[in-house]
Amino acid sequence: MPKQGQSVESCIITTLHKKKGDIVKKGEILFSYETDKASFEEESPVDGTVLVSFYGEGDEVPVLENMMIIGEPGEDISALSTPAPAQIIEDAVPSADATVAAPDKVMAAVETQTTTSENRFISPRAKKLAEKNAIPVSQLDGTGPNGRIVEKDVMTRLVDRPKMTPLAKMVALEEGVQPEIAGTGLAGRTRAADLAAPVNPVYGVDYEDKKLSNMRKLIAKSMHASLQNSAQLTHHLGADARRILELRKKAKTAQQEGRIAANITLNDMVCYAVINALKKFPEVNTHFLGDTKRYFHKVHLGLAVDTERGLMVPALRNADDLSIVGLSNQLKELATACRSGSVNPDMLAAEAATFTVSNLGNYGVEIFTPVINLPQSAILGVNTILPRPKDLGDGVYAFVPHIGLSLTYDHRSLDGGEATRFLKQIATEIETMEIQF
Amino acid sequence: MIDLLIIGGGPAGYVAAERAGHAGLNVVLFEKKAMGGVCLNEGCIPTKTLLYSAKIYENALHGDKYGVSGDNIRFDYEKIVSRKKKVVRKLVSGVEGKMKSNHVTVVKGEAFIESRSAEGIQVTCNGEKYIGKNLLICTGSEASVPPIPGLKEAGEVILTNREILEMTERPASLVVIGGGVIGMEFASFYNSLGTEVTVVEMLPEILGGLDFEVSAMLRDIYAKKGVAFNLNAKVVQIAGNKVVFEKEGETHTVEGEKILLSVGRRPVTKGFGLENLGVELLRNGIKVDEKMRTNIPGVFAAGDVTGFSLLAHTASREGEVVVNNLTGRNDIMRYNAIPGVVYTNPEVAGVGETEESAKAKGIAYKVAKLPMAYAGRFVAENEGGTGICKVLVGEKHGEVIGVHMLGNPSSEIIYGACIAIEQEMTLKEMQEVVFPHPTVSEILREVVFSF
Repeated sequence: MPKQGQSVESCIITTLHKKKGDIVKKGEILFSYETDKASFEEESPVDGTVLVSFYGEGDEVPVLENMMIIGEPGEDISALSTPAPAQIIEDAVPSADATVAAPDKVMAAVETQTTTSENRFISPRAKKLAEKNAIPVSQLDGTGPNGRIVEKDVMTRLVDRPKMTPLAKMVALEEGVQPEIAGTGLAGRTRAADLAAPVNPVYGVDYEDKKLSNMRKLIAKSMHASLQNSAQLTHHLGADARRILELRKKAKTAQQEGRIAANITLNDMVCYAVINALKKFPEVNTHFLGDTKRYFHKVHLGLAVDTERGLMVPALRNADDLSIVGLSNQLKELATACRSGSVNPDMLAAEAATFTVSNLGNYGVEIFTPVINLPQSAILGVNTILPRPKDLGDGVYAFVPHIGLSLTYDHRSLDGGEATRFLKQIATEIETMEIQF
Repeated sequence: MIDLLIIGGGPAGYVAAERAGHAGLNVVLFEKKAMGGVCLNEGCIPTKTLLYSAKIYENALHGDKYGVSGDNIRFDYEKIVSRKKKVVRKLVSGVEGKMKSNHVTVVKGEAFIESRSAEGIQVTCNGEKYIGKNLLICTGSEASVPPIPGLKEAGEVILTNREILEMTERPASLVVIGGGVIGMEFASFYNSLGTEVTVVEMLPEILGGLDFEVSAMLRDIYAKKGVAFNLNAKVVQIAGNKVVFEKEGETHTVEGEKILLSVGRRPVTKGFGLENLGVELLRNGIKVDEKMRTNIPGVFAAGDVTGFSLLAHTASREGEVVVNNLTGRNDIMRYNAIPGVVYTNPEVAGVGETEESAKAKGIAYKVAKLPMAYAGRFVAENEGGTGICKVLVGEKHGEVIGVHMLGNPSSEIIYGACIAIEQEMTLKEMQEVVFPHPTVSEILREVVFSF
C-alpha cells in the first residue's frame, strides 16, 4: 500500500480489480483505494498471477503494508506470510520457521527482504517468546548489543503486563491491542472481552443488536446529512385557526350531504395554504444546490408520512394544479400507498418535492423543529391547535384557537426576513381561506 | 463496631460469613431457621441423599446386567428419610462449626432492618440492636405458587420442595407440575421407587435453559423408565387430586395421590424491613451490580434474593465477591461459567452457552459432540446406557464457550469445563491437557479432538 502523503497512515480499498487467481499484465489496475481526501489506483508492477490478496474491498490497510502477492501459480509463497502486522521484523531465522509458529495466519504478509520502518533486531528466543505471548515487538526496548531485543526484554514486559487468558492472547495478537489495566477474569486475569470496550455483565446481555433496515439506513443518512450540510434554523408562529376549524365543520357536513367527494382535513387545508403561499414566495419553492439555486415553476409538495417501516416523504407532483378536494384525495392516496408499500419509489426522493409539510398536530405536539429534506430550502412543521389570548379590539380579549407553525429553513438559501414573511403568508392564507362547497 | 451484618445463613450467607470471619472481620449472621438455608435443609443436600438411595436401589434391582443378582430387593422409605435427616443434621452442624472456628457470631432469630444512618445500618433481632458498617442480604427464595384455580382448596395434596421432603410415606402416584431441575429430580426419585409419575410442563421441553438436545435425550430415557410427560401443557385448574391442563387446544386431566408444584422460585424481599433502606428491586429480586452492590452504599445482596442464577454455588461465589471487595481484593462476579447439574440417573451437567443461547446471542460458534460410549469407563460401568457430550467453541478462535453432558458422573466432570471457560482456553490448550485414563472425563478430550 503506497504511502500517499506524509500524514496518511492507512487507506481504504474501494475496488479490487484483480482477485486471487487472476492473470495480470504490467500496468493493469490491481485495485483502487482512497484516503479521506482523494482516491488512487494502483497498477501492477509486473506480469503474473495474483496468488494472494490480503485485503478485501472496504478494508482499511496501513500504508507500506503488503496488499497482494503476484507470482507464478504453484509458487511457494509461504515464506511471505507472517503472523501479524505487528510482527513485521527481519531476522536471520529461516522464514519457514515463522510459518510453523503460526500456520493458520495469513493476516498480513511481508516480503522477507523488504525493509520497513518497523524493522527491529531481535533474538530468535526473544521473538518466539514475544510471539507466544502476543507482545508487539515494536513496543519493546532492546537492551542487547546495538539495541537488539533479547529474551530478557520480553520477560520484563511480561512481568509488567497483566496475565492474559489464551483467548485474550490470540485476540491481542490479531488485533494488535494490549491490556491496559487488570482484567475481569480469574484473579484479575485479562479476558478477551477486556480488550474490547468495557461492558457490565451482571445482568447478562440486557440489549439486542438488530441490523438496520435499508430504509432506516437511508433515513439515518439523509437526516444526518441534512443537519451536517446545511444551516438550519426554525421560526415558530401561530395562526388564528378559527377560520379553518369552521371550514372543517362545513366540509364535514358537505361530505355527509354528498356535496363534495372528499373528507377535507385540517392538514389538507394547511397544505392548501402552503401551496398558495409558495406561489407568492418563489424563493422558498426551491432547491439549494451549492453554486446554484433551482426555482421551480410548479409546486411539488412533500408530505411526511409515519409508516410502520419508518418515515416516508412522498411528493405530490404539481400540487398547485389541484383544487382543495383534489389535493385532499391525492394526499390521502399517497399516504395510503406509503403505508401499504405500493408508493412509487421515485416519488420518495428528496429531489421529487420542492417543499415539505410535516404535521404532528394530531399527536398534540406544540412546537418542534423539523429537519429539511435537502436539497429543499425549507420545511413546515404543523403543530397542534391551542387556545391563546387575542386582542379582538375594543378592549376585548378572548382565548382563540391557534395552530402552531414551525418553519425550518436553510439559511444558505433564505434569509430570516424572507422566511418570516413566507411563514406569515402561510398564516394569512390559513386565516383567510375560502372554500366553495 | 460490627463490620458485616449478614441476614440469611444459606450458601451465600454462611460462605460469606466464613470468608469474612477468616479475613478477620467482625461478622454477625442472622438465621431464622437452620444454618445452611434451603440448600442444606430443603434443597440440594436432602434431595441428593434421597436420590442416592434411589440409585442404590435401582442398581441393586438391575444388578443382573453386571452378573450380580440379588433376591428380595426392597427399600424402606422411612429409613431413607431418616438417613436424609441424619445427613442434613451432620452438615448443618458442620456449618455451625465453621462459623465458630471463623469467629462468626450467629444469632438465631428473625432479623429486621430498621434504618441506615451515619452510625451504620441498624438491624434488630430478638429485641437486640445491631449496628454494622455493611449489610449483606441473602434471604434466598421460596417456591413460587402461581394463582391456579383450586390450588388452595386442594390442601395437603399440594407439595412444594419443602413438604415433599417431609413426607414419611411414598405416594403411589405423583403429578409434577413444572419439569425443571427440581421437578425432574423428584420425578426421578419417585420413579425409581416405583411411583407412577406424570410431569406437566408448560414449555416445549423439560429442563428449560439447558441444552435442548440433552434435555430431550433425558426425557426419552425417563419416558422409557415409565414417566409420563405432557409438554406444552398449561395447567388451568386443580380439582383435589386432579390436575387439569390445556394442550394444543384440548383439555386433559391427570391424577395423582400427591401433586408437586415446582414451577420456579421467587426471591424473598419482604418481611425483614428491606423497604426501610429503599433498596431498588429488579424483576422481583434485589438489583445488584457486578460487585453485588445494591443502590444503597454498604448494602449488598447475594444468592437467590437477586432473582437470577438461582443456584447454591452462584450464591456462595457472590458472597465471596462481596467479602473480597470488603477486604481489599478487587473482585467481580462472572456468570458465564456457572455450571448447572441435574441429579437424575443418568446425570445432566452443563456450563456456558448452549446452542440455543449462542444462537439467541448471535455468537458464531462451532459444535462437536460424541456419544458417551467413546469413553471406555462409561461403557464398562453403564451397561446399555446412553449419553452425550457436546462442546461449543467460538468459531474464530476455538475458545471453549459451552460444555453439556448427559451420563454418569457428569456432575463430577463439569468443573473441568468451568475452568476451561473461565480461563478462555482454546481447543489448542485443551488438547495439551492430560486426562486420567480410563475415566468418563476422557469424553471431553475425545470431543475436543473431534473438532
